[in-house]
Amino acid sequence: MNFSNEELLEMYSDIVKSRVLGEKIVEYIFSGKIAGAIHPCLGQEAVSAGILTAFKKSDIITYGTETHRAQTVMAHRVGWKPFIAELLGRTGGCNDGISGEYHIHDLKNGQLPAAGALGGTWAEIAGFAWALKNDGKKRQIGFAPYGDGAISQGATYEAMNIAALFKLPILFFIENNGIAMSTPVENQSPLENLADRAAAFNMKGVTVDGDDPVAVAEAVLNGMELAANNEPNVVEVKTMRWEGHYVGDPQKYRDLSYKEDLDSICPVVRFEKRLIELGILDDEIIKAVRESQTKEIVDGFDEGLSQTIATKEQVLDYNRVYSNNAGGEL
Amino acid sequence: MSEMSVMKALNLAMFEEMVADEKVICIGEDLGKQGGCWGTFTGLQEKFGENRVLEFPILEAGYTLFSVGAALGGYRPIVEFMFADFVTLGFEGIVDIAAKIRFNSGGVDSCPVTFVLPQGGGGKSGAHHSQSVEAWFANVPGLKIVAPTTPADIRAYYRAAIRDDDPTLFIYQRATMGLTGEVPDVLDEVPSLAKAGKIVKTGADLTVVAYHRALLNAMAAAAQVEEETGKTIEIIDPRVLIPFDKEIVFDSVKKTGRLMVAHEAPERGGFGAQILSWVVENCMKELKAAPVRVAGVNSIIPFGDLEKYLYPSVEDMKAGILKALK
Ligand SMILES: Cc1ncc(C[n+]2csc(CCOP(=O)(O)OP(=O)(O)O)c2C)c(N)n1
Ligand SMILES: [Mg+2]
Repeated sequence: MNFSNEELLEMYSDIVKSRVLGEKIVEYIFSGKIAGAIHPCLGQEAVSAGILTAFKKSDIITYGTETHRAQTVMAHRVGWKPFIAELLGRTGGCNDGISGEYHIHDLKNGQLPAAGALGGTWAEIAGFAWALKNDGKKRQIGFAPYGDGAISQGATYEAMNIAALFKLPILFFIENNGIAMSTPVENQSPLENLADRAAAFNMKGVTVDGDDPVAVAEAVLNGMELAANNEPNVVEVKTMRWEGHYVGDPQKYRDLSYKEDLDSICPVVRFEKRLIELGILDDEIIKAVRESQTKEIVDGFDEGLSQTIATKEQVLDYNRVYSNNAGGEL
Repeated sequence: MSEMSVMKALNLAMFEEMVADEKVICIGEDLGKQGGCWGTFTGLQEKFGENRVLEFPILEAGYTLFSVGAALGGYRPIVEFMFADFVTLGFEGIVDIAAKIRFNSGGVDSCPVTFVLPQGGGGKSGAHHSQSVEAWFANVPGLKIVAPTTPADIRAYYRAAIRDDDPTLFIYQRATMGLTGEVPDVLDEVPSLAKAGKIVKTGADLTVVAYHRALLNAMAAAAQVEEETGKTIEIIDPRVLIPFDKEIVFDSVKKTGRLMVAHEAPERGGFGAQILSWVVENCMKELKAAPVRVAGVNSIIPFGDLEKYLYPSVEDMKAGILKALK
């Protein structure tokens, strides 16, 4: 697959944006401005950049249940400002700052309800994808993301079985960062490549380098095409989690020597080198991209922080829980 | 009017709603040629096709979650669990996902799924095929629970559950599948789930609130006690547990001053405890005696005929009524 220079530069913007978002999440958590344990995507930015590139390049519409470390994709779907405000629990959030980043839900923008409980949303997407197919909606698919840990849940196997049986338009996407909370992937699965699970359901499965945004974008674009032709399939990308499970996690459970030379494993640095070699990036552009992306994110945080939090009445509104007044009380 | 069994009433209600709304779909096991484990889906796939009556493999967790996704995609799924007990496998989909859809979408999206749960004893199938599950879900905001008993009520309230835009558990007693009763040929109006309580029989000395087989047993026991004592007993079938029709129960207790609540589910943490609490909180002044509960034993259901030791019999109901009347 070929990407134009413009597309590569936009991919670069996205990888930087992901990085800045991760850094800012860490910063705002330490300064007490973000509540709850948020899981930043530091080290995994090429994954989001690749996904976003594929989404922008293809005419296929995706609906996904992104959550957790996929903040950049969530923000791309619901809009950066509504996303950041939701992360901050402010009323400008896409769910009024009431649902929170864990449970982000914005159907009109393709964000299917994410779940704090890991394991179920692949099957939820299967139902949505069935509806798309049954309604004859061409080139619209379900995009089902999970980490290497979440995919051990039984419902993910049921979801793959359903998708394969009913030939549903779904791409199952595994972001394998080698670890789930404290448990390394070797202790979770006997497989070398988690995408091999696809074979059990007669589906195609591929594993690519998740630290290369171009490889991710290509694999996702291929998987999206297959899905749009009612061929559900699995794409696994291998990457590495830099942070702890949550911000402030002392990570006593793993060897932290990788931190001594992060540049050598950094997907942003690696992509920069490649683009410099191709002659489409230089120090000036690097600086400008970093500045503009930082500004957009910091502005988003500033705007979010200027907003109120929801009132008790808003949170306890009966109409937020039930659809009609049968009963009339919570 | 025509005489009809619970089984036929279930079938009729689905048929009517599938005709009324092409977005109504059925999800479950053996729904095709078999017509469902209980025959309640008989003829539906033949009439409406495989894209509206979806036969699934044995993956309750998967198809519970699937139904939520289909609902978000604009459909109105009916999801059958062969036995209510198997809903343990669908717990995540119902409790964590379906119940929270509206809330987490900020009141924008609804989740109009009906989960159908044939429950309780009578089948003599033991610990994994005989439990009563309403209280497992009564503690979960966002869900509604519909539990009618007679064929006419099953037809009307099944339709109401399917029409309701919120995730609704439709629970019926499996053992009374063959119970027959008069059902109107045409349902003039699909009822609301609000204020669904029905005074099955009026009386002046005691209020009995019961549903499913416990309702039938309580009615039989009440007739005996009335005959023997000359007292009269008011019997209320709530038909819907959430939202619960409190007023009809409060009004009755304020009149009779006495209450007995009965169900087949275990007594501890049962829905009867909730009804009792509401009544005590609101009708203490009028109560002439401590309210009474008659419920299943807090134990595991054994196989075969032995199940009779667990569920409240007509005699148990009678003892409860006499105690409440003291
Ligand atoms: C059902 C369930 N079990 C446990 C958790 C707690 N939990 C949250 S994230 C996580 C690790 C997930 O690992 P993975 O899927 O690899 O995602 P990663 O954090 O690596 O991005 C765990 C155990 C949960 N949210 N849901
Ligand atoms: Mg992981």
